[in-house]
Amino acid sequence: MLASRLIPRSAIRTLPSRQLASPVAAPVLSRWARGFASASEEKDLIIIGGGVAGYVAAIKAGQEGMKVACIEKRGTLGGTCLNVGCIPSKSLLNNSHLYHQILHDSKNRGIEVGEVKLNLQNFMKAKETAVTGLTKGVEFLLKKNGAEYIKGTGSFINEHEIKVNLNDGGESVLRGKNILIATGSEATPFPGLTVDEKRVVTSTGAIALEKVPETMTVIGGGIIGLEMASVWSRLGAKVTVVEFLGQIGGPGMDTEISKATQKILKKQGIEFKLNTKVVSGDTTGELVKLDIDAAKGGKPESIDSEVVLVAIGRRPYTQGLGLENIGLELDERGRVIIDSEYRTKIPHIRCIGDVTFGPMLAHKAEEEAVAVVEYMAKGHGHVNYGCIPSVMYTHPEVAWVGQSEQDLKSQNIPYKIGTFPFSANSRAKTNLDSEGLVKILADPETDRLLGAHIVGPGAGEMIAEATLALEYGASSEDIARTCHAHPTLSEAFKEAAMATYAKAVHF
Amino acid sequence: MASFAAACRISARLAGGRATSRGFTTSSRCLAAQNFTMPALSPTMTEGNIASWKVKEGDAFSAGDVLLEIETDKATMDVEAQDDGIMMKIVSQDGSKGVQVGTRIAVLADAGDDISALELPADEQPKTSSQPAAAPASQKEEPKAAGKPAKKPESAASGTYEHSYPLLPSVGLLVHEHGLSKEDVSKIKGTGPSGRLLKGDVLAYIGAINADRPATVSSHLAKLAHLDLSNIKVAEKKSAKAPEASEAKALKAAPKPEKVLVELPISLENVAQLQRRLQDSADVSVSINTFISKATAFANGRLPVVPRQPTTNELFDEVLGLGKAKANKYSQGSYVPTIPDFSYATSRRTSAKKSDIIDILTGSAKKTSSPSAQRPAPRPDARLVADDIHTFSLLVPKEEKARAELFLERCKLALEEVPETLL
Repeated sequence: MLASRLIPRSAIRTLPSRQLASPVAAPVLSRWARGFASASEEKDLIIIGGGVAGYVAAIKAGQEGMKVACIEKRGTLGGTCLNVGCIPSKSLLNNSHLYHQILHDSKNRGIEVGEVKLNLQNFMKAKETAVTGLTKGVEFLLKKNGAEYIKGTGSFINEHEIKVNLNDGGESVLRGKNILIATGSEATPFPGLTVDEKRVVTSTGAIALEKVPETMTVIGGGIIGLEMASVWSRLGAKVTVVEFLGQIGGPGMDTEISKATQKILKKQGIEFKLNTKVVSGDTTGELVKLDIDAAKGGKPESIDSEVVLVAIGRRPYTQGLGLENIGLELDERGRVIIDSEYRTKIPHIRCIGDVTFGPMLAHKAEEEAVAVVEYMAKGHGHVNYGCIPSVMYTHPEVAWVGQSEQDLKSQNIPYKIGTFPFSANSRAKTNLDSEGLVKILADPETDRLLGAHIVGPGAGEMIAEATLALEYGASSEDIARTCHAHPTLSEAFKEAAMATYAKAVHF
Repeated sequence: MASFAAACRISARLAGGRATSRGFTTSSRCLAAQNFTMPALSPTMTEGNIASWKVKEGDAFSAGDVLLEIETDKATMDVEAQDDGIMMKIVSQDGSKGVQVGTRIAVLADAGDDISALELPADEQPKTSSQPAAAPASQKEEPKAAGKPAKKPESAASGTYEHSYPLLPSVGLLVHEHGLSKEDVSKIKGTGPSGRLLKGDVLAYIGAINADRPATVSSHLAKLAHLDLSNIKVAEKKSAKAPEASEAKALKAAPKPEKVLVELPISLENVAQLQRRLQDSADVSVSINTFISKATAFANGRLPVVPRQPTTNELFDEVLGLGKAKANKYSQGSYVPTIPDFSYATSRRTSAKKSDIIDILTGSAKKTSSPSAQRPAPRPDARLVADDIHTFSLLVPKEEKARAELFLERCKLALEEVPETLL
């Protein structure tokens, strides 16, 4: 508080001790000699959190020539995404898909396989290898770009100082000209159910179960819930998904795509209970018992399952950050309040990623990390929030960018639709993997792309094309008039664009 | 000061880079000499004064050499050379005031060039040189545009727009289908990102759709491009306050700490003398600002700790028997003295936009920091009367009085007795 009064930042920078001669030098020297971090020089940027937002900002700041320190308490960089989120779950999804295909699909393809056995221990080891490789890679990148990595828990002492409780014991104080809050999010707990990560698990526990459960209930049919449901269902669990809303995939997914996806997943053996509320849970018995209640006049019932996955969303994580010491307010959902340049009300403290506004997505955090450092270094950054893709890595994948049909409808914005099924795509056909469709929404008059929604093989990769088109203001005709290789799945995207402004050729 | 200077240098280098790269992309491509324009040293800078050139005409310099010193309303900054080269001609001499960003201030030649054999490139108006990657057509027109500075290519009055080529496939097709000439196309306003010409724009131009539709779609999409930060509801402090209040009671009611004012007059005469000496003997200018900041930093070191409640960590350490070993008798202070007549310009951007949630929050919490003090920027202390005696003062909690007094004593010692040790 006092520090911000009258004297510029440079005035409070510490002074190199060696240049101080006698009478006054003595105390300073001994302080330096002790080697406490409290004596370390002021950083240009201190980042609290080494997740995707934090580590990307650290690397970017290093590249911009800033003196930067990144504080992370987990012990490995990469945050939720790399350690217990996107990355490990993709390993499980990919390998469980392979296992499932070998078990059930290889015969159709003329491949006779002998005995197929799951070794869950090695299955998990494959996941861990991927995670360790990537987190170590990030650590290397930080080092390469001159960003200091501090293992510990950071909390605000005041507007310029961060106290770090080091993981190796001890404590240090860092001073920063700029401070970036990038503490991310945590799974929202379900009221009345205590998470033990063994029987009642969040996504963190769900990627590390010790054995395939007989039965599993997933509370919440969003992206995380459905991905985990897919993994364990493929490995042999009987999975029921209970969703409070009327559709799976979360409110952002296009309703038509959501329905198509649900049909496909149901065929794969996942059971869905939509418009259904979990009333209470009981963990005393051998199985976890959930009392559920259909929201629309259904009768209450109960489900017993070996494992319950709580996947009802994530909430911003600011615990122990000491925001009260600097008087920073949160909004009603616990998000740190920022302005359009990611500044909190204390201008040199900024905040990005899951802990603040916007969708909780790693790639959104990454974009913000680059933008926020550019704001600090150059005064301008760029994130187009209208162009952030979402991907669900079930099989088939679901991906979308821009607005959904229900978004447009609710805002009374006119639109036209073009769709193309993968069953009419040659590559999908040859792959014997032709479920799903591409749906494109465009302005009826100008033909400008408003949104693209895909459920189908490789949707997550294909959405990059839609995002690029949206970013550059393309019309569906522009997409359709761009050459796409044959035979590829991406032709389906081109044909859907043709269907939007004229007519598809192959359907 | 070091890292501030570094920061300035970064931005200056950046600006320099922009200036030279601009030189490369425009008509001077074929010439070895490049225009060097007034760099923007900060995002808000629009003009600056040239304090002095550090290289003379005909001098060779290498990358990283300071070319000139620029004064802005906020600070004086060095501009470094981006590449090796030769100063061919200085256009804006020392002391030029109010030079607009982008105006040519000098002409640089590549290292090793014979500058007597080189032609001076044409001065490009900032307007034309700041154009986004120009279309082939516009490049041909550029010399003309440069000759007539009044002609602004994007002005709505003349109604022509520069479009990026190649045109989008749909646009190109429509243009051919309807036999639109290049002049026709340049009359169409693009509503895409950075004014890109879209299919809808052409359709509207030929009257196939509503004329205002492209702009409507564009503004709708532009809205989505930003985080929705409207209607933010600040969480009620109820939950946070309750435990706080009980904690406060437990800690035998710790109400607002009483503040006391600690003052000490300090003479800056010795500092000023030293400053002059340095200037005369070594031609090094060190600002009084620097002296004060260094003295402050020195004085903040190893101040006696104020007795306080132990933290939970300390308690834990004590339980483990580690408490004694780590008990700090001294700690780093963070005092910043208030000095009257010693003013700094503030760079809080006066934003024209309407007040948002941050304004409300800062408004409601004015006591934490007055807006003017939020982002102080250093300023050359030319106006500071150095020989005067200044009263350094600190407003501190009562229990920190002794600590603050020691701090000021040390400032006095450093500034009055041994200013040379501060450097």
